[in-house]
Amino acid sequence: MAKQLGFYFNASACTACKACQVACQDKNNLSAAMRWRRVVSYGGGSWVPDPQNAGLMLPNNVFVYSISSACYHCVNPLCAEVCPAAAISKKDNGLVLINQEQCIGCRYCEWACPYGAPAYDQARAVMTKCTGCDDLVAQGKNPVCVDACVMRAIEFGDIEQLRAKYGHVDSIEPLPEAKYTGPAVVITPHKHSQASGKGTGKILNLPEEV
Amino acid sequence: MNVREWALISFTILAQMSVGAFVVLGIVHFLAQRKAGSEEADRLSDRALLAIGPVMVLGLLVSLLHLGNPLNAYRAVANVGSSWLSREILFGALFAVVGGAFAIAQWRKIGSFAMRNLLAWLAALIGLVLVYSMASVYMLGTQPAWNTWATPISFFVTTLLLGVLAMGAAFVANYAYIQRKYPGCADAQCGLMRAAVRWIAVAAVVLVGIELLVVPLQVAYLAAAGGVAGDSAALMYGEFGLILALRLALVFIGAGVLGVFLYQNALSPGREKVLGYLTYAAFALVLVSEGLGRFIFYATHLRIGI
Repeated sequence: MAKQLGFYFNASACTACKACQVACQDKNNLSAAMRWRRVVSYGGGSWVPDPQNAGLMLPNNVFVYSISSACYHCVNPLCAEVCPAAAISKKDNGLVLINQEQCIGCRYCEWACPYGAPAYDQARAVMTKCTGCDDLVAQGKNPVCVDACVMRAIEFGDIEQLRAKYGHVDSIEPLPEAKYTGPAVVITPHKHSQASGKGTGKILNLPEEV
Repeated sequence: MNVREWALISFTILAQMSVGAFVVLGIVHFLAQRKAGSEEADRLSDRALLAIGPVMVLGLLVSLLHLGNPLNAYRAVANVGSSWLSREILFGALFAVVGGAFAIAQWRKIGSFAMRNLLAWLAALIGLVLVYSMASVYMLGTQPAWNTWATPISFFVTTLLLGVLAMGAAFVANYAYIQRKYPGCADAQCGLMRAAVRWIAVAAVVLVGIELLVVPLQVAYLAAAGGVAGDSAALMYGEFGLILALRLALVFIGAGVLGVFLYQNALSPGREKVLGYLTYAAFALVLVSEGLGRFIFYATHLRIGI
């Protein structure tokens, strides 16, 4: 099998501090509205009346956890398949990159990608997304999100090695099931994590945050 | 809803109307020829044919408004191997070129009858492949509201419904023009026009029947599927429910009720004026309804994932 770089993410460690998101925006000169990496909080449960104490409420399976999500440089990148301009391609190391010179700004990839990875650059009228910091990777360094994480919850490298180390979970809510695109990701679930497509919670961020 | 989505609504509606009109005109011309000969058939359809080209070209131009980077638009056919969007643009351009070539050849009577006939068949086939490509663009696994059989069925119904009524309007307009300009030749034309409008009315009633079945079935199917599909269905009957109801009412009145009146009025001569008003009204109502339907199509789709 050809080389495939990918991300590891530890949902049980993430504190939703968003250092990864900000480091990514800083390194790639992204506007506040453009996020190649987003921290998404997912939660659910309800509150029920306390039978012992009238007027008080008790938590009923209330939970929340967060994921830090970027492009997963998928094995079957739907964005590249549907791009009419053939502007998106998969490199030898498995990274999926957009050539902005070729992009026509139709935003069709945005409709296709279930990870919301393509981010439209209003100013240049072209699509952009996570490059896996391919420039840093070429120098043997980590992507900035990896080094920015205070909890060491993100790793990057050969996906087979990451799987050998961390297992084979490749989707939890609110991420989609992996069947659509075959994401190059390994996840350590949070203790409250729910299976993709079977979640009982919802995304808690404001729409403009994610 | 923004300029980009209005561009998509206009482009898909205009392109589908062009294809439908072209196919319908071909069928009507074929039948008219068998009934009244080439000359009368051409007289019925040639002006209508010339109206189709500008509509298609307008559609293609409007589609450019959907691009962030229209100067790069020529690259949109770079991925015909795997992108239905590329195929849509390719077949759209091909339909405009081949259909345009046929229209000019037919108008100026250039080339043999067999050659023109071949061009017409080719353009009609490309047009139908175009509509199929347009539907396939939206059949994305990550877009459950789009990824159902309702998408191709409703695209083809829109194509034919707008096609028959646009051509109906063109026939009555053409007849009014001929009657003013060449009163001598109006009798044969009158018969042909009434026969054409009669069949157009039948087609409109059948097509609106299919549409009135598919739309609620689609909403029910999505609602039953739950999840993201269910959320889309909730938008359709919730936030956009009034627009959906208005759209269904307009198409029912335009193609259904007026279709029945059209059929009756086309049976007896002497009612050409009424026939004209009815056809224009039916076309206008259905055009608005299909535009609203396409608006709902773009306003209610929700993608799986984050």
